[in-house]
Amino acid sequence: MTTPPPLPSRARWFWRTFAAFVRREMASMSGYRAAFVTRMLGFASAVVGLVFLSRFVGAAANPHLAPYGGNYLGFAAIGFLATELQQVGVSGLARRVRTAQIMGTFEAELATPAPAWMVLGAAPVYEFGTSAMRSALYLWGATIVAGLHLPRANALSVAVAVPLVLAAFIGLGLLTAGSTMLARRLNPISTVLGSLSLFLSGVIYPVSVLPPWLRHLGRLLPLTHALECLRGAFLVGATPADLAGSLMALALFAAILIPLGAATFAFALRRARIDGSLTHY
Amino acid sequence: MSAPALSTTTTPAVVVEGLGKVFHPPGGALDLLRGRLFRAPVRALADVSFTVAAGEIVCMMGPNGAGKSTLARILGGLLAPSSGRAVVAGHDAAASSPELRRTVSFVVGDERSFHFAVSGRENLLYYAALHGLDARTGARRADELLARVGLATAADRRYREYSRGMRQRLAVARGLLGDPSVLLLDEPTLGLDPVGARDLRAFLRDEVVRGAGRTAVVCSNDPGEARALADRVLLLAGGRLEREVAPARIEAELGLAP
Repeated sequence: MTTPPPLPSRARWFWRTFAAFVRREMASMSGYRAAFVTRMLGFASAVVGLVFLSRFVGAAANPHLAPYGGNYLGFAAIGFLATELQQVGVSGLARRVRTAQIMGTFEAELATPAPAWMVLGAAPVYEFGTSAMRSALYLWGATIVAGLHLPRANALSVAVAVPLVLAAFIGLGLLTAGSTMLARRLNPISTVLGSLSLFLSGVIYPVSVLPPWLRHLGRLLPLTHALECLRGAFLVGATPADLAGSLMALALFAAILIPLGAATFAFALRRARIDGSLTHY
Repeated sequence: MSAPALSTTTTPAVVVEGLGKVFHPPGGALDLLRGRLFRAPVRALADVSFTVAAGEIVCMMGPNGAGKSTLARILGGLLAPSSGRAVVAGHDAAASSPELRRTVSFVVGDERSFHFAVSGRENLLYYAALHGLDARTGARRADELLARVGLATAADRRYREYSRGMRQRLAVARGLLGDPSVLLLDEPTLGLDPVGARDLRAFLRDEVVRGAGRTAVVCSNDPGEARALADRVLLLAGGRLEREVAPARIEAELGLAP
């Protein structure tokens, strides 16, 4: 037994944990070849599906698509990508908690000196990373196979919008993970949010086709604003000033949801240490 | 087997004073209909007090549900006590600080606590990172520990291919990654064959604890384990500390002597 070296800074420590997590995930993935093949097939079918969907819709000129440059292929592709990003943000952390509880690794991980946020944070960051790579591949696939063009993308707007979109989704994710720990089961927030968003946020059709009261309801969902920002930035080259309303809404979602989610999650962890439910599932 | 030598110092490594733990299990749907949020409280520990000297091995024994694992989890900072206090290596266990979790290692015997699809080495590398070790130091430490627990040749085999004994030894290796001064061992030889259990106990006693000047609290139901490992045995029943027993007399005290 020797005098232990000082603990690294939190940032360095998280980076080491993240790198080890990614390495383990890669090693783990190589052990599940069928899952890898299935994922690739799913990806290919999504790209092919997009081709036929755009052929079908693109055949008719649609006035509702005018604000998006009449580009339904781009409209739908961004809709699907943002939905996936929301799914990862909302359920990534909750899934990590549940998996660790079910696999029995949670207690062993929390018994190490690493803070809980570090133990759990690597998974959602990894999932965001892989989701970004999948999105890039998806866009590339749509460009090659379906002829997607995004010639008017505004890089500044994308750079401003993406962090705000992620922040709003991370806030939702913290809230979901906290309530998952408290309820000791994957709670329905992500499912309900997914269905509502598909319906009200305009994932596959513009919200302009909805009646006004449903359009107002849709504005209560972060994905609605995320889609407005991303489609504006990618499809018609909207500037940050053009997107000010939606960017502000996303900032507001992040400002409310991140502290609320973090407080819920911290409370859930404290409760788990009191009622001994770290390993319950 | 030679009787373990007791090394004592004046500073206790573990101080437990009036420790209590009450669980309030959440109610189900029927309880809610009856207007109750929680089921009847369960007292897992009541007014437990003892000390463990630095370098000592103390075995907590008692029937299932006696409170052994609850006690170990409190000492490891994984569970908050309801009353009393526990200080381990100078750290308040209730605070569960990174410093406490660095000094104290809770060796979880649960087989499910590892990733089945990756190798023993990969599992250790991940936990080394959680201990703050950089990749190179972590790899060196993992290889060193794998060799120490006799898993060097199986280091790259997937965990799911490990036998029960190999899994237990890997759990010990994981517990030593942070070079802790206090080890909490919950049923360390559970499910092992007699020879495997004997070898692991000898390794724990002679190399992991005594050889490295560590302190250990072992939770076990096995009198043979208590005799082989412990300097003192504390008997728990119904969440209370009943009495202290000399390891050599454990079978007689439990009414198991022929």
